[in-house]
Amino acid sequence: MRSIHKIEIVFMILLMGILAGCGKDADSAKGDSIEILNVSYDPTREFYAKYNELFAKHWKEQGGQDVNVTQSHGGSGSQARSVIEGNEADVVTLALAHDITAIEENGLIDSGWMEEFDGSSAPYTSTIVFLVRKGNEKNIQDWDDLVKDGVEVITPNPKTSGGACWNFLAAWAYWQEKDGNDEEATKEYMKKLYQNVLVLDSGARGATNTFVENEQGDVLVAWENEAYLSMEEHPDEYEIVTPSVSILAQPSVAVVDSNAKAHGTKEAAEAYLKYLYSDEAQRLAGENYYRPSNEAILEEFSDQFHLDMNLVTIDDFGGWDEAYNKYFNDDAVFDQIYGQ
Amino acid sequence: MSKKQEKTFQQDMVGDGVHSIQKVIEPHQQEPNRIVKYAMIGVSVLFLFVMLVIPLAVVLVNALSEGWAAYQEAVMDSYTINALQLTFLATVSSVAVNTVFGLFAAYLLSKFYFRGRQVFAALIDIPFSISPVIAGLAFILTFGNIGWMGDFLKAHNIKIVFAVPGVILATIFVTFPFVFRELFPVMNAQGKDEEEAAALMGANGFTIFRRITFPHIKWALLYGIVLCAARAMGEFGAVSVISGHLRGKTNTLPLHVEILYNEFNTTASFAVSSILVLMAMVILILRSLIERKK
Amino acid sequence: MHVEMKHINKTFDGFHASRDVSFGIEKGHMAALLGPSGSGKTTILRMLAGLDRPDSGDILINETRVNDISGSKRGIGFVFQNYALFRYMTVAENIGFGLKVQKKSKAEIKERVEELLELVSMKELGKRYPHQLSGGQKQRVAFARALAPNPKLLLLDEPFAAIDAKVRHELRTWLKDMIQRVGVTSIFVTHDQEEAVEVADMVIIINEGQIEQIGSPEDICLRPQTEFVKDFIDTERFKINYQRNAVSTHGKQK
Repeated sequence: MRSIHKIEIVFMILLMGILAGCGKDADSAKGDSIEILNVSYDPTREFYAKYNELFAKHWKEQGGQDVNVTQSHGGSGSQARSVIEGNEADVVTLALAHDITAIEENGLIDSGWMEEFDGSSAPYTSTIVFLVRKGNEKNIQDWDDLVKDGVEVITPNPKTSGGACWNFLAAWAYWQEKDGNDEEATKEYMKKLYQNVLVLDSGARGATNTFVENEQGDVLVAWENEAYLSMEEHPDEYEIVTPSVSILAQPSVAVVDSNAKAHGTKEAAEAYLKYLYSDEAQRLAGENYYRPSNEAILEEFSDQFHLDMNLVTIDDFGGWDEAYNKYFNDDAVFDQIYGQ
Repeated sequence: MSKKQEKTFQQDMVGDGVHSIQKVIEPHQQEPNRIVKYAMIGVSVLFLFVMLVIPLAVVLVNALSEGWAAYQEAVMDSYTINALQLTFLATVSSVAVNTVFGLFAAYLLSKFYFRGRQVFAALIDIPFSISPVIAGLAFILTFGNIGWMGDFLKAHNIKIVFAVPGVILATIFVTFPFVFRELFPVMNAQGKDEEEAAALMGANGFTIFRRITFPHIKWALLYGIVLCAARAMGEFGAVSVISGHLRGKTNTLPLHVEILYNEFNTTASFAVSSILVLMAMVILILRSLIERKK
Repeated sequence: MHVEMKHINKTFDGFHASRDVSFGIEKGHMAALLGPSGSGKTTILRMLAGLDRPDSGDILINETRVNDISGSKRGIGFVFQNYALFRYMTVAENIGFGLKVQKKSKAEIKERVEELLELVSMKELGKRYPHQLSGGQKQRVAFARALAPNPKLLLLDEPFAAIDAKVRHELRTWLKDMIQRVGVTSIFVTHDQEEAVEVADMVIIINEGQIEQIGSPEDICLRPQTEFVKDFIDTERFKINYQRNAVSTHGKQK
């Protein structure tokens, strides 16, 4: 008898817990504050954590509203997919324009987003470099060294990671340039390169962790910003090697129009992205190892970046739509190379 | 050889075989047994140590590697607290839903006979055999924007995937069978005679449940609840797919651990892990207490 | 007639458990439903108790049709095959449960429980739990529990099946005495010919859901009406028994 009552009490407590939980869920009422969801790709965590504070201050000064930015990070491709499937982002700040185009194709972003902000809606750029362990034991200097026998390469999967697409295109550009646009020869090199890949992570951050935290592989093909961040986290353990040819990676941003309209955040969302071009934000980007799109501010960081690198751009590949179809779609070049 | 002869011959063989084996083993039984016993103990302990004790110890050591203050900071961080709250909410919800459902389903399947009973029981077990990732994807394809119910949900402004309800749904899904699985065999073994006897004496449904059914199943029920809670707290796969990783909103503790780790925040990620380890230990103690009672 | 079944039919998932079953039992009598396992005898008992519903036909108790009256309101005591004692209640609580559910006063319950414990000679064992009892004791508790609310009709499902062969005989006599003393109409289900013949004063033989023969034990043994009854009862053996028995009881009575 007594034990029955004890159990009943336990049930009551559980029930109350549920009610309390539901109550908590319901009271996310909006007062004089506004919420923005920024769905971004992997390596921007640190940058946006700081930028959100900067913007909140700016917006408060301008409009008086409290703005609360929620972040979500992951592989660029999978993040885009989640937005398409219902992750109600107000803005997306992804690794490549193609992922934003995919969202546009599902009707969530109005066409012409690329012209909405300066520099093809890419407020900061980056490039692809190599991160090697201190001492560079395998003497890795350029792309050719990555296809040597016994070199273990870490790079993420272009199917899910935007950074990986840039990696791929940078390597492609190098051999194209070297072999005078002989596509078959380039494919052979690329094949060798991916044969040397030890771990094909799904996102750039996963790849960095594999190389840095788990100490796998000899060289990480990485975002420049990601490479600098690793150096900062583990000084004296790594070296950055800049290849002779690389690509100007333009991570793109866009307002997800249909979500922002539904949330009543369109104005703030636009301001949020526009403010990325302000001097303060550009400087913050530089401090977080992104190359500011503002030339003057980029010069301020000339000690930090190798500004004399030979960089191709996505336009050299005919734009993202063409490049994606040619290299990364199902059964396109990457599948041919990696499948065999 | 006729069939009959063959049969008896075989029986003889078997009978003799058993007999001779016993004869051979008996005098030596003590010796090899002791060696086997200690060898097995040694291997088991070593295995447990390498697979469980060391990794768990590493979690705790890493969590405290930057001192108590850093640990506290990581644990008291607002994102951590949000994640803890969401984990708690998801756990309590799934325990509640699955307890009620488990009771009904176990009662139904053990006390009533109807066509499709077996199929029903098998369906309940689906979450045991299906990968949580698939469960998460299935939810997205059902409730997501381009999913089966997407238009309906959107029209009614109901958010499920990439929001708290989705996290709770996914957690409920993966912990679905636990309470039922614990209750069903106990209720089945009890049969329905006692309940029928009480009903014939005029007892109503609630009295029957309280006086007859419940005393019989209470430990199994509690055990099921504890298992369900343990699984709910630790769920990663399904929740990871459906959560959208919104910081401070749809991140549960396990997801938060991953995020911290990805942010090179190793110490903080281990500190948060240690909360989960601690919760698991409490569950473990509860479990063994209940097991003894059962 | 005290209890009557008229043209009862019942199927489970296509299995025909009762086919046009009709019989009547007079007040104070003790009837045995006898048949091989799977013959449908327990189904008949369960329909009488209201645990199963017939597909067609009428059940009458005291000339009233009870088909639509729930089992708990039919004034029935039921002894289950495995007794179905409430395992988390003491013997006294088991016996008093029916009265408690009827919201009888505590004093009244106590008095009745003691009376029944006395009747089944278990006065000292009221505080025990079912698992502390022997098979025979359990049966006595089940019997007392069924009798507690003063039922008009007592139904027993294989009352001796779970009892040791050694004590079975003893219990049979005890139960028969007890029922006669209480004077309640009763029906019990059994697959044991000897048991039916010895305990009941009316035997209903069932096979494949159909009644083969109804009659006194003597009728059944000496005048089997169907081939099935002849085979099932092993009439040769009982005939000899009966003739001897008849002589001896006559001798005693006169």
